[in-house]
Parts: sequence; structure tokens; C-alpha cells
Amino acid sequence: MSRRNPLREVGYHVTASALSLLWLLPIILVVVTAFRSFDDVAQNGVGGLPHSFTLDGFAQAWTDGGAAQALINSMLVTVPTVLITLALASVSAFALARYDIPFRRTALLLMLAGNLLPPQILLVPVAKLSEVLGIYDSLTALVVVQVGFGLGFYTFVLHGFMRAIPAEIQQAAVIDGAGAGQLFLRIILPLTRPALAALSALAFTWVFNDLLWAITVLRSEDRMPVTPALLGLQGQFVSQWNVIAAGSVIAAVPTVAVFLRFQRHFVAGLALGAVK
Amino acid sequence: MVALTAPPVERPAEPRRRNKPSRRLSPLLLAFVLVPLAVEAFWVFWPAIQGVYLSFTNWDGISPPTNVGLGNYTEMATDPVFGKALLDTVIWLVLFGGVSAVGGLAMAIFLQRERRGVGIYRAALFTPVVFSLVATSLIWQAMYQPDGLINNVLGGLGLESWQRSWLSESGTALYAVIVPALWRQVGYVMVLYLAGLKGIDPVLYEAATVDGASKWQQFTKITLPQLKSVNSVVLSVIVIDSLRSFDVVWSLTKGGPFHSSELLSTYMYATAFQSLRLGYASALAVVIFLLAFGVIVTYLVRAFKESDS
Amino acid sequence: MSIDGLSRRNFLAGLGGLSAAAILGGCATSASTGTGQAGGAVTLQSNLSAPLPKAAMESVVAAFNKKGAAQATLNTVASETFRTQLPSYLTSGNPPDLYTWYAGSVGRSYAKKGLLLDLSDVWSGLTDYSAATKTLSSDDSGKQIIVPITYYWWGMFYRKSNFAKWGVQPPTSWDEFLKVCEALRAKGIEPIGMGAGGTTPWVASAWFDYLDIRINGATYHRELLAGQHRFDDPQVKAVFAKWKEVLPHFDKSATAIPFQDATTSLLQGRTGMMLIGTFFADAAPKDALDDIDFFQFPIIDPKVPIAEEGPTDGFFASAKTPRGPEVKEFLKFLATPEAQELFIKNSAGTVLPVNPKAKDSGTPLVAKGRKMLADAADITQFFNRDSSDALQPTADAALLQFFAQPDQVDSILATWQAAAEKVWQS
Repeated sequence: MSRRNPLREVGYHVTASALSLLWLLPIILVVVTAFRSFDDVAQNGVGGLPHSFTLDGFAQAWTDGGAAQALINSMLVTVPTVLITLALASVSAFALARYDIPFRRTALLLMLAGNLLPPQILLVPVAKLSEVLGIYDSLTALVVVQVGFGLGFYTFVLHGFMRAIPAEIQQAAVIDGAGAGQLFLRIILPLTRPALAALSALAFTWVFNDLLWAITVLRSEDRMPVTPALLGLQGQFVSQWNVIAAGSVIAAVPTVAVFLRFQRHFVAGLALGAVK
Repeated sequence: MVALTAPPVERPAEPRRRNKPSRRLSPLLLAFVLVPLAVEAFWVFWPAIQGVYLSFTNWDGISPPTNVGLGNYTEMATDPVFGKALLDTVIWLVLFGGVSAVGGLAMAIFLQRERRGVGIYRAALFTPVVFSLVATSLIWQAMYQPDGLINNVLGGLGLESWQRSWLSESGTALYAVIVPALWRQVGYVMVLYLAGLKGIDPVLYEAATVDGASKWQQFTKITLPQLKSVNSVVLSVIVIDSLRSFDVVWSLTKGGPFHSSELLSTYMYATAFQSLRLGYASALAVVIFLLAFGVIVTYLVRAFKESDS
Repeated sequence: MSIDGLSRRNFLAGLGGLSAAAILGGCATSASTGTGQAGGAVTLQSNLSAPLPKAAMESVVAAFNKKGAAQATLNTVASETFRTQLPSYLTSGNPPDLYTWYAGSVGRSYAKKGLLLDLSDVWSGLTDYSAATKTLSSDDSGKQIIVPITYYWWGMFYRKSNFAKWGVQPPTSWDEFLKVCEALRAKGIEPIGMGAGGTTPWVASAWFDYLDIRINGATYHRELLAGQHRFDDPQVKAVFAKWKEVLPHFDKSATAIPFQDATTSLLQGRTGMMLIGTFFADAAPKDALDDIDFFQFPIIDPKVPIAEEGPTDGFFASAKTPRGPEVKEFLKFLATPEAQELFIKNSAGTVLPVNPKAKDSGTPLVAKGRKMLADAADITQFFNRDSSDALQPTADAALLQFFAQPDQVDSILATWQAAAEKVWQS
């Protein structure tokens, strides 16, 4: 056990705090803007020192921006998407990483290739496809589209992590008589927990903050998730920056909360030591 | 070990050259592979094939498309904006990709040990990933203005000669936009590396410390090799993100001023949704895809070969 | 029965099934055939997403619904979203019935593709509307396709108290204008502000438009934007030659900040005046609104008929709507003075109603603007509305480059012409 050198502790915390503060600076500025009044921003500019403190921005973002309904929509889309995508990705990665399936490398590259396409070019065909299926302008369409589009990447990432698990563990379980399903649920999945936690946090963020897919498959404003709804606060010419900043703060709360909750799982050490 | 209720498998495990477990393919395994592939095929590959088809046409999004064969691709060869966008994208790939990889790894190593408060520091680095770009790009734009925060700080440090109109000067626009992009990316790369670092057996480090290895030696001889499969993931992520980097650039400069910060992705978006030339935009998308695919596949094929040997 | 063979066959069979499934999906380029049902409420898709105009629109819809002839529902999306998705809305199988949009070529392009409902019978009842408005709202074949309800104007806005403080008067001719710029420069103020930086580069096009219509006339300007002249013509070169006279008087941050921040600079007194549309008043703090005034863009050539920029906003309808009669009822209502006054009362207040019988907000500023537009011989709509959204980025690139490299006018114009040709030919 290394001795905790108090000086190094202090040094660590000072450096880490300075870094965090630097990184958070633009965010802090957003929060400050959220508490200013519109006239203050108009008078002194976004970059000017604040001359006011008000909660009007938040009130307006909540009512005018329809933040309540938009947040619900975002959750209705994000939670199922993350769950379904990671479920499908983990089984696919498991099969491709731990078994000698023919064409497995091709399949993996094929799935990854799906993510190499710039999403902007898929927007119009996907819109038409969702219309043909009759799910246009529904949250189901958004979930399905997001699942399809993210699948390749998560499979690829999980494949990378699952491949790193030593073969001995799997062989030991197979000798004990485990089938594929058992192997997946009881052995491999728990060992991939750090990766799954990381990906859950990332996936939640991405789906929550997505803009392009939402505006492509959705048309009605009461179905819009939070990020396009925020965009709606921007006027045709003039935007109320304080309201938009307040809306962004409101929209960031769920994702930061999810991250804080999940990052504890990066902590869980592997059970690899138990194999010995 | 795990207690099982299923009857033991009758076939003995077949001896193989490679140290891989049984090759038996249950229907379950087949489903494991085919179902996700089918989902992706429907929602991604089919639209992508249509996109490739569109790249051989002229289409405005409304009337039926007209076939032009390779016309879009030959136009690309003589399009000066395409050349500029391609060059900018390569610069972006190297700078943005390189710094985010190194930075993310450094942050992950710095913040990997579980101490008090480390969660807060990690969250601080990850918050830019989380925060909506609509508001943060506004702040970055304000910071980059001629009388904004960055120029004020430079002035305060006595570096007046460094003051610029960062986002509106053709020489600095591209590099000025890389900073907020990196600001958003490093936290994300850090998260991937954190998960990878967690997968390294701590016993290896203990053994190395007992053997008297220095921190740097431990890093190069243990950490880096152990991170190999994570590295392939991170590299793919970085290449994908670099080539798809769009929102940050678009929300700050829209590729301007006069194409000074034009990337292939912004050029493609502008062509599709401003100029309404979806055929040409599809051709640009195909080029972006081939670029990404080429870079990633060469690396991955090599990585696969190494790990299987 | 080899395990490998079975697995490979299964695999290939699986792949075959996949491909079959994939082909069953819809094709992106076919126009969807829709089953829209008659009856039900008229759906209005609106891009007026800022809180005030959105509230204004809601009050108009509520007033219409109260009348009882038909019902309407409002759906508002962000304006940039609306713009990128409009082709998708119009070509979908079940399109919204009504849309907010703009008069000018930017609306006619959809009519040319047969996507818009013919509104000539609505127009036959709009006897109060002027003939010029009717022409503006017609497509190339003479059918009316849009019902405009509001319009606004562009001018050189300044702060009255600042001008008094600096001792300058609003100019009327180009030479007087240059003198005012020099006087302001001498006082250490940036004479001309402009916010063509960041995400609002299109503001610079106003200068191009105005110099072109003052020097070459509105007809030439419209023909140029339609592709009937070239950007490297000597007339366009003359525009830039004139612009160079006043270029040194522009704010050095002119192309570095978006127009909302340029408005702040103007109101703080760091710049003297700005060529901008009345929408900028929404960006001003309320106590500054009474202090704002404008003057007409200075006359350069007295022989050229005076034209002004007066962008007009209105509504059009999808040709595929199954609720034609109800849609037309709503449009008739929108054209009444009552609806337009209601809209103006609830929105920012610096727009003018198209119906001559409708009252505007009555401030001296608005009266002055209305008079200026009424006295003009011709009204243009603004660069992108007179041409297309596709041509606007070519102008942005060219004009920003002009500000950065004013000596390169010839090469800039050549590049502009090449880029414009690509747009006109597609």
C-alpha cells in the first residue's frame, strides 16, 4: 500500500480542480447567461458582465419552450433506445467476439461501416422509409431509427472489450456445461460491466442531445424532444439568449445526473482476480 | 464456479489450432448475430444504398431525380471548395484526432484512481459532452469575438499582438473551431479509456512495481499494450467523429468565412440543405464514407490479424 | 451432417432473407401517395418560433376557431428546422395544409413544381389588396399562390440621442452620407455597423441589394438574381466600385459579430448607424425603442426609380390538401384587417399589415416606414427571397471575401458567377 503523501494529495486536487474549472468555464458562462434578463443581454452583449439576476429565463423556457413536455418526450425516446440498443449490441458483440462464427470479421466491419456514413445523407431516405411504414411523426420511429443507427458502433466497442476477456474463463464455463445463453448472462456480461456503464452514459447523452434525427422523423411540436425544442426558442431573426441558456441548463440536468450515477460503475474492478 | 442446471454437452470440446472455445453454432447464436444485423440493414444499409444511387443523379428533393452518371464525381475533381474541404478535413483529422486521443488518455490516467472527488472531476470533463451545443456555441462565439473573453485575456497577459477576430479571419477560423470541438471530445475519449483502464489487471502493475519498473516503463510496457483493443475502438471513434464533425463547426462558422473552415461534412450539409443539390451531396457523402472506411479498415484488418496469430 | 456446413447454409439463408427484406423498404425518391382524409381541422405548420410571434399566431388561430366556419390547429417548429424540412413536408404523403412562408421567387419555386394550391379564388375576394401585391403573390403562370399578411422594411437605423450628441443629421444623398461617415470617424466612432459575422452573414447582402437597386434599378437586380445577367457584368462591378467608397467607414468588427451583437454595439454608441430590417428592434432593450429612428438608404443616382426592400410574409397551402374549402376560409380570414391587426398587436409591432385598411401599431417610426414603402416605385424582397435559399450562400461567401480582400473584386465576382451558375442550372 503506497503511503498517501499529503503534498501529492494537495497537488493532485489543485491540478484537478484547476482543470475542471477551466473546462467548466463555458458552462458557467451559460449558467450565468441563464440568470440574466433579456434587456441586460441586449444592452451589454452576451459577453458583457451581467447586470441583472432573474429567474425569468427559466420560467419562459419552461412554459414557452414547452420544456416539460419536451423532457418527457426525450425520456420516452432515450431510455428505450439505450436499453434496446445495448441489448442488441451486446448479444451481437458476444457472438462475434467469443465464437468462431464464419464471416464474423466481415459482419463486424459491416456493422461498423453503418456508422461511417454521414447521417445527414440518410435523413431523406429514412424520412421516406418511416412514412412508408406509417410511423412518421411518432416517437416510435425515432426510437427505431436511433437504435438502427447506433447499433454498429456499440457492437464494435463491446466487441473490443469482450475480446479482451481471456479464453480460460469461457473454457472453464463450457467444460462445466454452460450453453451460449448462460455464458452470456452469467459470465461475459458481468465482466463487461465497465464498458456497458460507459456506453450507457454515452448513449444516453447522444440520444438525448440528438437533433437531426428528431427533426427528420418528427413534425409536431408536442412530440419534439428537448434538443429540437430548444432550437425552437431561436427566433427567425432575433433569439432570446437568456431563455435559450436557461433551456439548455434544464436540458442538461438529466444527462449530467445519468453520468454521475453511472460513472461509479467504471469503478467496479473486474472479477478477473477470482479466476485464479 | 457457476452452478448449472442444463445437462452437460455430449460432444467433447474439439481440439483446435487456435485457443478458441467450441465452434458449435446454436440457433441462439445465429439469432444473436442476425437480428442486430437485420435491424441495421433495414434502417441504415437500405437508406445508404439509396444514398449511393442518388450520388449518380441530380436531385432537388422534390422532382424525380435525373441520372448524370459520374457527373457529380467529375465535378468534385474540379471543385475548388471540395479541395479546400478535403484539405481541412485531413488537418482536422490529424489535429483534432491526435489531440483528443492523447488528451483523453492523459485525463483517464490522471483520474483513474478512485479517490475522493474524482467523480466530480470526471463529471466536469464530461459536462461539455452533455451540454446542448445551441447554448455552448453561443458562449464560444462570444468568447471569440474581437472584444470577447479570449482577446481580453490575451491583452491582460500582454499578448496584444496575438489578438484576432478568431472566427472571422480566414487564417484562424479552422483552428479556432478545433478548440471547442476538442473541449467537447476529450471528456468522451476519457470515458472510453477509463473503461479500458479498468480492464487491466492490477496484479500486473503490482508485479512490475516489485520488479522495480518506473511509472513510465509501466505505462509503455503494461498500459499501452493492454489497451490495444481499446485503442482500436478509440481510433475508430476518433476517425468517425473527425470525419463526421459537423455540429461544432456549423454552429460557429457554418464553414465560413467564405469556406475558410469548410470541412467535407459541412460542405455536404450545405450542398444538401442550402443549395438543395442532393445528388452532389450524396456523392460527397460517399467520399466521406470511403475515406473513413479506408482509414479504419486498414488499421482494423491489421489489428485483427495480430490478435488472431 | 457437418456442423460447419449447417451453420454456413443457415448463415447464407439468413443473408438472403435480409436482402429481400431490405428491398421491401420504400424508395426515397418516389413521391409518397397519401391518404389524407377530408374534414377535420386545418393544419398550419408555422416557423414563427420566437415567443412573441408564436403567441401572435396562436391568438389569430384562436380568433378564427371562434368564428366557427372551420377549425385550425397550429404546429410551430424552429425556423431553421422548417426551412430544411419544407421540401420534405410538401412531398410527404400527408402534408400539413398551410405553411408560413415568404413572397417572392422563394415561394414560386415550389409552385413551379406543382406543390402549391391555386389561391386565385381567394384573391378574387381580396379587393383591397394592391395590384403590386397581387403580382408579388403570383407564380409564373399568373395564378396566385400565396396570401401575404405582413411586411416590413429595411433602412439605415440609428439612435436619435446619439446623433444629437454627435451633432450629425440624417443624410439624403450619397455625398451627404459620406460626409456624415467622415464626421463620425473624426469623433472616434465606427460610422457603419453591420453584423455579418458568425451565423448571420446574410446581413451583408442588404448592402449589395441596395447598392444594386440604387445604381442599376430594381428590374436589373431581380433579373440578375434570376440568372439573366452575370455577376461579373460591368454593372455589378460598378456596385462594388461604389461600395469601396464607403468601405473604410465600416466597423472593423463588421464581419466578426452576428447582427444581434451589432445591435448592441449600435445602441451602446460604438457604431453610428446600421443597414438592417425592422426585426432588429426585437433585439433591443425596451427602453431604447423610442430612441430608434431610421433614414432611407441614400439616393445615388436620382434618375433611377426609387426602390426599397420590403420583405413580405404570408401563407401558402399544399396542393394535396383534402380540406381545400376550409383552407381557403382560413386564408380569407387572414387577409382581413381584423386578423392582421390582431397579429400585429400581439407580435413585436414593427411590421406592417398588407391589407391597406388594417391599422398598424401607430408609432411615428412605423408611419415613416409605411410612407417610405408606399412612395417607392418598386419593392424588392431581399436577396434570398428574390432568388432562392440556394443562392444566398454564394452571396455570403463572395461578400465576406470582399470585406477581407477588397482588391480582389474581379476574381471574387468570377467565383461568384461560377457558384451561381451551379445553382441556376440545378
